Amino acid sequence: MADFLEFTIDKFTFRVATDRWYNDQGVWAKPEGGRVRVRLSDFVQQRSGDVAFAEVKPVGTTLALGDEVAVIESIKVNVSFSSPVGGKVVESNPAMKDSPEVVNQDPFGEGWLAVIQPADWAADSLKLLDAQAYFGRMKKEAEEEAKKL
Amino acid sequence: MNGKKAASPRTKVVIVPCSGIGKSYGTVSREAAYDLTEELRPDAAQLVPLSLLVLGDAEARAAVAANPAISIDGCKLACATKMVKESGGTVAKDFAVLDVYRRYRQFKPQGIAELNEQGRQLARALADEAAQVVDDLNAGGKSG
Repeated sequence: MADFLEFTIDKFTFRVATDRWYNDQGVWAKPEGGRVRVRLSDFVQQRSGDVAFAEVKPVGTTLALGDEVAVIESIKVNVSFSSPVGGKVVESNPAMKDSPEVVNQDPFGEGWLAVIQPADWAADSLKLLDAQAYFGRMKKEAEEEAKKL
Repeated sequence: MNGKKAASPRTKVVIVPCSGIGKSYGTVSREAAYDLTEELRPDAAQLVPLSLLVLGDAEARAAVAANPAISIDGCKLACATKMVKESGGTVAKDFAVLDVYRRYRQFKPQGIAELNEQGRQLARALADEAAQVVDDLNAGGKSG
């Protein structure tokens, strides 16, 4: 079970799991037995709003670090998310097709996007943010968003 | 609400849309309710504004308590559905605009005070589905 950093602003609470790495967009990567699971951070899924559609790159797709791994259409935005790791997609969450709302309902469980067989995780991970660094960035973004309300 | 006050014929299915302001999905819910109660099934369905239920308006609560209700929610807070239940009513069918949009992806709603054409089409598609539910209810069936 992961530990979390937590930040509350207004009526929103955002959690950042400490056992994984994050890219600038808030897509996180978690190594699991030689593979890497990819999904959206809690902050990103809450900020995006309810997801209407999610399209994830299919199994077999080869991605470079930063390539598009998924496109999410929510009630607020359409966003293309870049992969935090390069490699081959070995699992694409089938739930994204029929019940993409799991992105919002279970951001730390069933709401994952893909599992990637990394080409060079050691190198890619150096380009990502650790949980503490991402937490600071997320907190700043959340505060800026709150000022707009 | 177009200046209309909720009617209270005891045989009409009650339609309670979202009252959310500032979001396209809330607007779709209201436009669908207007389409349904003013054009598609004016004799079989009546609109009860969520705001009147929130205020505890006796006539609105009586209408909801005495008739089957269809709620149309603009977001997952599902205020319309909750208020029907809290007002002593029975939700025969609850529609969520997002779920309807998932069935009609070609109709992406945009705009708030005035919906885009796709938003209008989504509202009409929702109203058509709700009209079918109204027909089923009036025929003695149950919806879920």
